[in-house]
Amino acid sequence: MSSNLIGLRTVAAFSARKLLMNRRWMLVMLLGALVALVMGYAATEDGANLDFASDLMVLLLLAFLLPVLSLIYGASMIRNEMDDRSIVQVITAPLDRRMSYLGYYIGLVMVLCLLITVVTFIGGLAFLMFSPERAGGAQLIVTFIALQYLGVLVYSALFLFLGTLMRQPIYLGLIYIFIWEGFIASVPGSIGKLTIRHQLEVVASELTEFGSVAWTSGDWAVSVLALVVITVALVLIGAFVFRQEEVA
Amino acid sequence: MLGEEPWQNPALLAKIGFCPDYDFLPADLNGREYLRFVAGLHGMDSVRTATRVNDVLGIVSMVKDADRVMGGYSKGMRQRIKIAGALLHEPQLLLLDEPLTGTDPLIRKEIIDLVKDLNKVHGHDVIVSSHVLHEIERMTHQVALIYKGRSVASGDISEIRRLMSDHPHNIVLEGRGLVPLAQTLLTKPYTSSIELRPDRMGMYVRVDRPDEFFDSLPELVAGTGCELERVESLDDDLESVFRYLVG
Repeated sequence: MSSNLIGLRTVAAFSARKLLMNRRWMLVMLLGALVALVMGYAATEDGANLDFASDLMVLLLLAFLLPVLSLIYGASMIRNEMDDRSIVQVITAPLDRRMSYLGYYIGLVMVLCLLITVVTFIGGLAFLMFSPERAGGAQLIVTFIALQYLGVLVYSALFLFLGTLMRQPIYLGLIYIFIWEGFIASVPGSIGKLTIRHQLEVVASELTEFGSVAWTSGDWAVSVLALVVITVALVLIGAFVFRQEEVA
Repeated sequence: MLGEEPWQNPALLAKIGFCPDYDFLPADLNGREYLRFVAGLHGMDSVRTATRVNDVLGIVSMVKDADRVMGGYSKGMRQRIKIAGALLHEPQLLLLDEPLTGTDPLIRKEIIDLVKDLNKVHGHDVIVSSHVLHEIERMTHQVALIYKGRSVASGDISEIRRLMSDHPHNIVLEGRGLVPLAQTLLTKPYTSSIELRPDRMGMYVRVDRPDEFFDSLPELVAGTGCELERVESLDDDLESVFRYLVG
């Protein structure tokens, strides 16, 4: 294995470990419990079915938990290391900074995928436990986990880049999530399509037949391509910024 | 640096080991895990990592404590493990930034001995930055004074010492019967000015040639019959040399 690949693997593994050891997991547990509580309670209501579960997952997971977790973990990942200057270990190693950035990105994606899997699984299970209709439930959970993996790739690239670029990325990130992804995504017309959430919903329409998301119009292949292009572009720009930046 | 452009040159970093003055060690890792992390960043394979980790732990005398989490390390142990991290990839040049900051006298001696060994026994070129000259003096005779990023003087430490003694000094004298001493000092060519305190128990003497002043002081004290309790130069440090050299 080349030294750059060993370095990449090291940055990814240690940054993922650092994220998981951080006390933020308490916040994640709280959010996970909230999702489980809401989904479990919703399942006890009259007429609760998988359409209802799908709508809940779009609202709770796709529109809220996924971007918020990505922001919390992504925006602080490199920024915190710059602030406490522990990044000195990485930037004084003979590892191309772009490779280090990619390592951070991979570490972030691994951690977010793990957290999203756990939260979605617990929330879905809570719904299915109390719901009278369970057929296809497991497939719905798997679908939303896979969909969020795609979302993790894009949101991680976005918020890691924001954290590299700005000293206080959280505020802009929150504005982005709640104004652009939350409000603009629900505006009728073509502008609403210019959100990551909408593109994920288009992909979801191809993967599930449950809930209103199944009726989202659009070409899923174009959406996947758009999300991949955005991800790659953000990672490349972020890596370039990280390479140029005075970081410690 | 080392004949190469340092900016955006990762390959050059393989030849340099850097140990910053601030604390950045992850508290939840143990010393061995931290060194494995550093080895990974330097692209070292597992076989070389295992060998080098044991080697550098031996060099910095941290074998016994390598498996303890670093959150429980003393300041001296943290400095040692940081130096071990900087040494791990066998760099040509070691940069140690204020390695003695915050350490007690015992640990200070151990680290000074370690730095000397890194050069003499292990063959590393070592650059130590410090603002305390007497600490540097115990490690090397070659110094460079850097002020605002520029070298204002460099060479053998005795040269720097000479600079320190040749520039004007403000000296505090305290004791009894200082007035006759002040009168005598005013007649000496090396005295620029004297300011006697209102209580006549102390005075500030500015001298152009401190060596001559200190050489003649015992004779002057005996001749005037004063009783000195304190003699201190306010300018016998690097900062005053900086001020003198940069105007």
